Amino acid sequence: MNLELTQQIRDQARGLLKSGTVKGVIGYERASDGLTARPFFAYELTGTDQLIFDETCSHNLVKYLLDKKGEKMAVVVKPCDSLAINLLLNEEQIKREMVFIIGVSCTGVVETAWNQKSQTLQARCQTCRLPKPVVYDFLAEQEPIRRLEGELYPDILEMEAKPIASRREFWHEQFGRCIRCYACRQICPGCYCPECFAEQLSPLWVGIRIALGENELWQTNRTLHLAGRCTGCNECERACPMDIPLSLLNRKLEKEMEELFSFRAGLTSEEQPPFATFRKEEKLGFEE
Amino acid sequence: MEEVRIGVYICHCGSNIAGTVDVAQVSQYAGTLDSVVIARDYKFMCSEPGQEMIGRDIKELGLNRVIVASCSPHMHEPTFRRVCEEAGLNRYSFQMANIREHCSWVTEDHEKATEKAQALVQAAVRRVFYHEPLEIREVPVNSNTLIVGGGIAGIQAALEIADSYHKVYLVEREPSIGGHMIQLDKTFPTLDCSACILTPKMSQVGSHPYIELLSYSEVEEVSGYVGSFKAKIRKKARYVDEEKCTGCGLCQEKCPWKVTSEFDMGLGQRKVIYTPFPQAVPNVPVIDRQNCAYFQKGKCRACEKFCEAGAIDFEQEDKLVEVEVGNIIVATGFQTFDPSIATQYGYGKFDNVITGLQFERLCNATGPTGGNIQLKDGSIPRSVALVHCIGSRDENYHDYCSRVCCMYALKHSHLIKEKTNSMVYQIFTDIRCFGKDYEDFYQRLVKEGVNFVRGKVQQVTSANGKEADQGRLIITAEDPDNSKVTQVPADMVVLCAAIESQQDANEVAHILSISRKADGFFLERHPKLDPVATMTEGIYVVGCCQGPKDIPDTVSQASAAAARVLALISKGKVEIEAATSIIDEEKCSGCRICEFLCPYGAISFIEDKEVCRVNEALCKGCGTCAAACPSGAITSKHFTTEQIMAEIEGVLV
Ligand SMILES: Cc1cc2nc3c(=O)[nH]c(=O)nc-3n(C[C@H](O)[C@H](O)[C@H](O)COP(=O)(O)OP(=O)(O)OC[C@H]3O[C@@H](n4cnc5c(N)ncnc54)[C@H](O)[C@@H]3O)c2cc1C
Ligand code: SF4
Ligand code: SF4
Repeated sequence: MNLELTQQIRDQARGLLKSGTVKGVIGYERASDGLTARPFFAYELTGTDQLIFDETCSHNLVKYLLDKKGEKMAVVVKPCDSLAINLLLNEEQIKREMVFIIGVSCTGVVETAWNQKSQTLQARCQTCRLPKPVVYDFLAEQEPIRRLEGELYPDILEMEAKPIASRREFWHEQFGRCIRCYACRQICPGCYCPECFAEQLSPLWVGIRIALGENELWQTNRTLHLAGRCTGCNECERACPMDIPLSLLNRKLEKEMEELFSFRAGLTSEEQPPFATFRKEEKLGFEE
Repeated sequence: MEEVRIGVYICHCGSNIAGTVDVAQVSQYAGTLDSVVIARDYKFMCSEPGQEMIGRDIKELGLNRVIVASCSPHMHEPTFRRVCEEAGLNRYSFQMANIREHCSWVTEDHEKATEKAQALVQAAVRRVFYHEPLEIREVPVNSNTLIVGGGIAGIQAALEIADSYHKVYLVEREPSIGGHMIQLDKTFPTLDCSACILTPKMSQVGSHPYIELLSYSEVEEVSGYVGSFKAKIRKKARYVDEEKCTGCGLCQEKCPWKVTSEFDMGLGQRKVIYTPFPQAVPNVPVIDRQNCAYFQKGKCRACEKFCEAGAIDFEQEDKLVEVEVGNIIVATGFQTFDPSIATQYGYGKFDNVITGLQFERLCNATGPTGGNIQLKDGSIPRSVALVHCIGSRDENYHDYCSRVCCMYALKHSHLIKEKTNSMVYQIFTDIRCFGKDYEDFYQRLVKEGVNFVRGKVQQVTSANGKEADQGRLIITAEDPDNSKVTQVPADMVVLCAAIESQQDANEVAHILSISRKADGFFLERHPKLDPVATMTEGIYVVGCCQGPKDIPDTVSQASAAAARVLALISKGKVEIEAATSIIDEEKCSGCRICEFLCPYGAISFIEDKEVCRVNEALCKGCGTCAAACPSGAITSKHFTTEQIMAEIEGVLV
């Protein structure tokens, strides 16, 4: 446990609950394996002592704000998670005055499983360039330990270098395993439509059979709906019970958005994502 | 649900379609499709007998859906919708399949064309199955009109409309109205003095009770639609109070600072506080801030001291005015090609190489030389060459013909002959005198002894080889037919610079939501049959902003647009789109993407329900929102997902 950060979070949470500023605090507590972390909702002063922070705090807690729209909540966010806050603010799903953001200056989290934790940082942390959250009300700080340099998308470049046929083969193998449990969607902070296209029956946009073609359609559509919106928290990949490397899809689009529009989702809450704007002067290569 | 009974009509369009598509086969095929009660083919569906045939079938066979497979909806959808309505159906029971532009015109392969025509008909049949009647609504037309640009085009249109007792806002960006015509000396072919025929109209505009002139102003934003537009206009600060100024002109006399005059095309000078020319309307000067000693150096204010009316106001600021209008006429005119870009003509290098517009000023009695045609050094030229097609009909610049240069070059020749003993050369590629009485004018000039030399000018050089403008100029021209090279000596060269679209035409097009052609001029709805309307209803284009033209044509267009506007005003109402969008509040997540995207501001957010809603009066049914809604909560009526899916399936089977 990172004592320095944990203490700051607990103090902050206690103060917020005591003064009645928030109804509850969404943070992390130690899981029952005694090793990893799990989400925790502190509504009572006593509960704040359960709050922790360390390298096992992988979950993006921002998603929970969508269920708590009516009440003011505090939420603990890592730099990567904070991007999702801006996304939801931009898309009018949460109100700024209804959240108190406890930012953490994180130095990376590790892969965990029940009663296991790895020694190396998660892949996304290895390319993360954010030293602190992009939006916060309070910042739990520690000495910044690392400065990253180098290639931002090594995984994508590697994928792009492969011939089409082998990429197709790769994805067919991956999508073939999808069981359409929709865990990726349920956990995604950007997926909040009251009725997802995958479940609409009239018209039936995508069949509900678990078959390669339809799985593929589901996954490509899911990814495309997040173009310019995915903030890279990678919860989908973590949640996927079939270990489908969804980050390769999401990050490919992230890279395209950066190259085409110099846009990264969630950096501000003001800038509309490119696919939600319409400018008459944009010709996109037509009409020239 | 009532039984769907479809009638399908395949048009031959003479041989336009029937020449490539086996229409009989398509019609026979259509007859076999689900719910099709009757399928026929006919020579011209749009003809009287064609229309009657449909009407009769609707009544006798109880059709409730009609498909015509013919040309584009742009051409004849209104025709056939009307036929349906006259026979008692809702106009949205109709669907058009384009088997001409999308089919017969784009291939010579009869078999494939027939196959595609069948697919398009199948698509329409499947689609029309899901059509629903929509309610047609009307909204009142605001009787005010906005006219942008106060050249002869804008002036003419303004007067015609205002004389019928309807309010006009005339926006002109320069300090005075008049446009290019007020710079001209005489006008071809009748040679009447340009100012003499224009200034009466200008002063009428200035004092007309139904015209509100907003000079030195620009339109910044336009919203709304035909019948009710809103426009934001920026009135630039003149630093002179229009209410107080009496137009006495003392300030201009007393201002100690001179700069080159734009109105005299750089040949003369004007004061820093100025009206561009004596007959300016409104007769209120402006202070040229960039050159004003007080604004730039903090000292002077001479004008203020002498102004008895106390009209000078250095504190004045730009003002934003909002107006509501039902129609908009765009009359922003043209600019002339800058010949210094084409260095071979020596413009900007030799003092006595000038443009046609500069010549107009030189010739004019109120111009910089008091109307004397003279060289830079004051002497009278012994020979003048008028060079045609500078930047026009030239693949390097503009492909098109500027239409007025031949005629004004002839006019200039006449004026030179009249005022001097100079030799005159016309160096032309083709002489185009197309207008009424123009050929007579040409014949007259031939008799006056003008020398006509056929050739495309290659270069203009100095006779003594010096760079500086000493002595004669030599024009080298090549005959396009036989490549024969001719050299013509001249003291003065007048370049007939092309008429081109305004530099800011793109911004203006954006503000007004109208289009431009590749040549830069604004695009009319139809080049022959609808030359003043645009694709945006309620917005018209007139004069040289639509393409190069002379004054008679400009005035005709202006009157035509005025007639269109008055027709709409007298009708008093316009039908608004019935195929609007609706939002399913159950599916809406309240992300508000649609609200920001809607180009017509038709969507608003309902705070307490946290969903968006479409205002049907404002919605134009463009479908932007329906395409963008991530939750699929929006349906564009008449373009429902069901209809489009059915259509796609129809093409694919
Ligand atoms: C050298 C020369 C000689 C000619 N001689 C003849 C002749 O003898 N006989 C003849 O029939 N034709 C002649 N013409 C053609 C004639 O000048 C045009 O037909 C006529 O001027 C077209 O009028 P217009 O109102 O369309 O455009 P313009 O005269 O260009 O007027 C446009 C007006 O709109 C204003 N404006 C532009 N943009 C904006 C904006 N964004 N907002 C507000 N205001 C704006 C401008 O300031 C201007 O006042 C000649 C042309 C040239 C170049
Ligand atoms: S885009 Fe769709 S979900 Fe978003 S506010 Fe509009 S209707 Fe609702
Ligand atoms: S279809 Fe949608 S975007 Fe288009 S005008 Fe209507 S509401 Fe606006």
